Amino acid sequence: MPAATGGLEAESLGRRFGDVTAVDDVSLQVRPGEVVGLLGPNGAGKTTTLRMLAGILSPDRGRVMVDGLDMRADPIAAKRRLGFLSGDTQLYQRLSPREMLRYFATLYELAPARATKRIDTLIAELDITSFAGRPCGTLSSGQKQRANVARAFLHEPQLLILDEPTNALDVVSGQFIVQAIRRARDAGRAVLLSTHIMGEAEYLCDRIALIHRGRIVDSGSLEGLLQRSGQGNLTDAFLHYAGAATGATTA
Amino acid sequence: MRFSIVRAILFKELRETLRDRRTLFMTLGLPVLLYPLVILAFTRIAESGEDAIAADQSVVAVWGALPVPVDAALTESADLALQPWGEAPAEVREGLPAGRFERRDPQGAEPAAGQTAGPAASSPAGPLRRSRGGNRETEPENPVLAAARAAVASRKVQAVIVAWPDTAPAFAQGDAVPLTVYYDSVRRQSSVAHDRVATALRDARDRIVDERQRARNLPGGFAEGLTVHTRNTSSAERRSGQLLGSLLPYILLTLSVLGGMYAAIDLTAGEKERGTMQTLLCAPITSAEIVLAKFLTVWLLSLLSLVANLVSLSLTVSRLLPADLPGVGATNLVLALAVLLPVTLTSSALFLACASFARDFRDGQTMLTPVYMAVALPAGVVALPTIELNAWTAFVPIVNVTLLVKALFLREASAELIFLTLLSACMYAAVAIAGAVHVFHRETVLVGEKTSMRTIFERGARAGGTPNAGFALTAFAVLLVVQFYGSLSLRNLPIHWLLVTLQYGGFLLPTLGMLALFGFDARRTLGLRRPPVVALVSAVALGLSAWLFAGGVVARLLPPPESLTRAMERFIQLGDQPMPLWVVWLVIGITPAICEELFFRGLVFSGLRRLGGWPAVLGSALLFALAHASIYRLMPTFILGVVLGVLRWRSGSVVPGMVMHAINNGLIGTLAQRPDLAAWFGMQGASGTMPWGPVLAGTAVMIGALGVLRLIAPAAGDDPPAGAYDTSAAPSRP
Repeated sequence: MPAATGGLEAESLGRRFGDVTAVDDVSLQVRPGEVVGLLGPNGAGKTTTLRMLAGILSPDRGRVMVDGLDMRADPIAAKRRLGFLSGDTQLYQRLSPREMLRYFATLYELAPARATKRIDTLIAELDITSFAGRPCGTLSSGQKQRANVARAFLHEPQLLILDEPTNALDVVSGQFIVQAIRRARDAGRAVLLSTHIMGEAEYLCDRIALIHRGRIVDSGSLEGLLQRSGQGNLTDAFLHYAGAATGATTA
Repeated sequence: MRFSIVRAILFKELRETLRDRRTLFMTLGLPVLLYPLVILAFTRIAESGEDAIAADQSVVAVWGALPVPVDAALTESADLALQPWGEAPAEVREGLPAGRFERRDPQGAEPAAGQTAGPAASSPAGPLRRSRGGNRETEPENPVLAAARAAVASRKVQAVIVAWPDTAPAFAQGDAVPLTVYYDSVRRQSSVAHDRVATALRDARDRIVDERQRARNLPGGFAEGLTVHTRNTSSAERRSGQLLGSLLPYILLTLSVLGGMYAAIDLTAGEKERGTMQTLLCAPITSAEIVLAKFLTVWLLSLLSLVANLVSLSLTVSRLLPADLPGVGATNLVLALAVLLPVTLTSSALFLACASFARDFRDGQTMLTPVYMAVALPAGVVALPTIELNAWTAFVPIVNVTLLVKALFLREASAELIFLTLLSACMYAAVAIAGAVHVFHRETVLVGEKTSMRTIFERGARAGGTPNAGFALTAFAVLLVVQFYGSLSLRNLPIHWLLVTLQYGGFLLPTLGMLALFGFDARRTLGLRRPPVVALVSAVALGLSAWLFAGGVVARLLPPPESLTRAMERFIQLGDQPMPLWVVWLVIGITPAICEELFFRGLVFSGLRRLGGWPAVLGSALLFALAHASIYRLMPTFILGVVLGVLRWRSGSVVPGMVMHAINNGLIGTLAQRPDLAAWFGMQGASGTMPWGPVLAGTAVMIGALGVLRLIAPAAGDDPPAGAYDTSAAPSRP
C-alpha cells in the first residue's frame, strides 16, 4: 500500500473477542473529498471496524493511518484529525450543548478564542441556539443529534467516521444530517459512513464497501457493485452478497 | 500526561456529579441532614422514655413477710410502690406461708453468699449479687419462678420480692437474711425497678448491720471489713476518646466510602449506560488522563463526604456523650481526617476499578456491594475493646486505620505505629490505584464489552519485557507486608539467621520468582550488565563516604530515641555476643547488597524507569527508605537510596550499587564489632553521633564521587525499548 497522504487508510485490520473473529483482514481507503459507505448486516463487524478506525479499540493486527498519522504510534495526533459520530452516541445529560462543546474544545486543546468562535458558528449553523443552554437530557433525539454533529465537527477534522448517524431520527432531522455530510464532503473532508439505509448510501456515497462476517466481500463504485452482483439496485446487491456469504439464494 | 486535560475532565465530572441529585444526596444529603436527624430523633425518643420511667414509681410485688427494717426501707423509698402479694397466684399465696416452696439456687451459683445481701456487694445494682454470666441468675424452673415471671410479664408489677420461709428465722437469729428479687432484665421498666429495690435493700442492710453492731457493742464498720475506694485514672478526654474511638472511625469510614461508591458507579457504569464513554474515548486523550481525572473526582467526592460526615457526626455524637465528657475536639477532627485519607484513596481506586466492569448503574451497584462490605466490615473491629493498634494490626488493611483513629482519640498512638500504619495504608492505596489504571488500560472494559473481572489479575506481560510502575509498586507492597509479618513471626530466631532468612526469602526469591512468573527479561529488569570501571571506583568511594553524610548530618537533624538506638546497635552487632567479622560482612554487608539491590535497584527501578531517570531514582529511594519501617531511619536510608539509584541510573548496572551497599553496611557492622575503630572516628559505638570532621570529609568524598558519575554517559539500552511490557501498549484481552 502506498504511503498515505490524507484521509483514511486501513490495512489488513483484524480483531478477535475471545474465540470470535469480529473483523478479519479489512482494508479500506477514504480519500479527502470522498464519502465511502461501509454497509453490512447486523453483526457483520461494522461497529468494531469503525471503533478501530476511530482509535477506540486497538486492532489485534493491521494498521490505521489518519491523515498520514499512524493511529497506534501517535493516537493523540491521529484522533485530533478525526471526528466520530454514532447513532447511539449520547450526550452528557446534565450538561447543556454549549457546556458540552466547551468541554470537548478543551479536550481537543483548541485555543479559547478559536473555541468560542467555532462554538458560536456551529450553534448558529446547526440551528442549536434555541436549546444551547438546556441540559442535554431534556432534548429531543433530533436536537441531541444536532449537538452531536456539532461536537464531531467542532475541531474541523479532516476525517469523519459516522456510524449510522441518522439512526432513529425522523425524516427532517435525518435530512439535516445528510446535508451536513454533503457539506463536509464539499469542504474536502474524507467521510466514512456506515448505514442501514440504502437510499442514503446511494445518495451520499462515492464508493461502497460491503462487509460480512468480518470481511470485505466487495467494494467499489455503486455502478461497479451493481454490475458485479448483477442486481439492479443497492438493496438487491446487498442481499445478494449477504446471501452468497451465508450460502442462501436471493431472488 | 497533560494536566490541563485531567483538570478539564475532573471539572466536568464534578459539575455533572454535583448536578445529579442521587449522588449529591448520598455524598452530602445523608451526612448533613439524615444522620443527625435520625440520631437526634432517636435519642430524643429514648430520653423522653427514660424521663417517663424516672417520673413513675416502680410497682413491686412483695410475696411473703419481710423483716421490719427491710419493709421499712422499701416503704420509705419514694420510687417504689409496694403491692403485698401483687399478681401472686393462689398456689404461691397459700404455699409460701405454708412452707411448701423452698428457695432454689441458680445452677452453678456460688454458695449462699450468692443470694445474700452481703456487705461486700458493690455493684451499681447495690447489694443484689449478680453472678458473672447471665445463666447463673436463672434458677431451675419452679412454681415461684414461673409465677414471678408471669407477674412481671403482665406489666402490672415491675419486679417481685420473695421472702422465703427461712427469711424470718434467719433475721431473728442474726444470720444473713435470704430474699429473692425477680425482674426482667430485657424490659427497661423492670430493670429500673430492680435498681431501685437494690438501693432500698442496701439501705435496709445498713440498718440491720448497724443495729446488730450496736446490740453487740461492736465498733461501726465492724461488719464492713474492708472499705475500698476506687478512682478512675482516665481523664475525661480519654473516656470521651474511648467512646468516640469505638464509634466514630467505623461510622466515618463506612459513610465516606459510601459517598465515593455512588460517584464511582456513576462515572463508569453510569457513563457507559448513558453511552457517553465512547464519545470520550474517541477524543485525543489517553486512558491514563481519563482514569486520573475520574479517580480524582471519586476521591474528592469521598473526601467531601468524609468532611461532611466528620463535622456532622462530631456535632451529633457530642450531643450523645455524657455531660461530664468533652466532645470531639478540633485536633481529633483533623487527625481523623488525615488518617482516613489513605483509606478514601484505596476505596476510591477499588470502586473505580470494579465499577468499570459494570455495564449499567444497577450492575454497578450489584458489583460494588460486596466490595463495600469488604471495606466496611473490617472497620467494625474498632468496636472490639480487646483489639488495639500494635505491630501486627498496623499492616491489616482498613482495620489498621480505624484502630489508629481510636488510638489517636485515646492519645496513646506512638510515632512508630503511626508511621507503620500510614505507610501500609498508603501502600494499599498505591496498589489499588495501580489496579484501577490497569483496568482502564483494558479498552474493552471501557467501551462496554462484556469482560470478566478476572482481567484485573491478568498478567498481560510480554515475554522479554520489563515491569511497569504499577507492577513495581504492587510488588513492593506485597514484599513489604511479607517482610513485616515475616520479621514478627521469626523474631525468636538469632538475629543473623533472621536477617539471612528475610533477605533471601523476602527479597531475592520473590524477585526471581516474579521474573520467572511474568516472563520479564532478567538482564534488563535487574540491570545485570558489566558496569564501567569509573562507576565501580565511584561505588567504592561512595560506600566509604555516604554513610558518614547520611548518619552524621541526619542523626543530628532527627535524633532517634534512645530505645531505637540501642535496638539498632544490638541489631548491627548481630546480638549480644561478638561475631567474627566475616560473618558480619556476609550478613550485614553482602547479603543485603545482593538481595535488596536486585529488588530495589533492579525490579523496582526498572519499573519506575518509564517515568524518567529522576522519578526512578527518587521513587526507588523512597520505597527503599519506607521498607526499613522506621520513621527515624527514613531520611538516612532515603539519602543512601538516592545515591544507590544514581549509581544504577548512570552505570546502567546494578553491580556498582551492590558494591557500595556492601561496603556501606559492612563498615557500619565492623564499627559495631570493633568499638576501638569507632573510637578512632571519635564515635561512641556504631550508632553514636559522628564528629563533624569525618562527616565533612565523607561528604566531600561523596560529592566528588557523584561528580565523577556525571562523566559517564547514560548507559545505552538502559532506557526501556519501545514495545517492552507496558499495559498501555499491550493489546487488550477481552
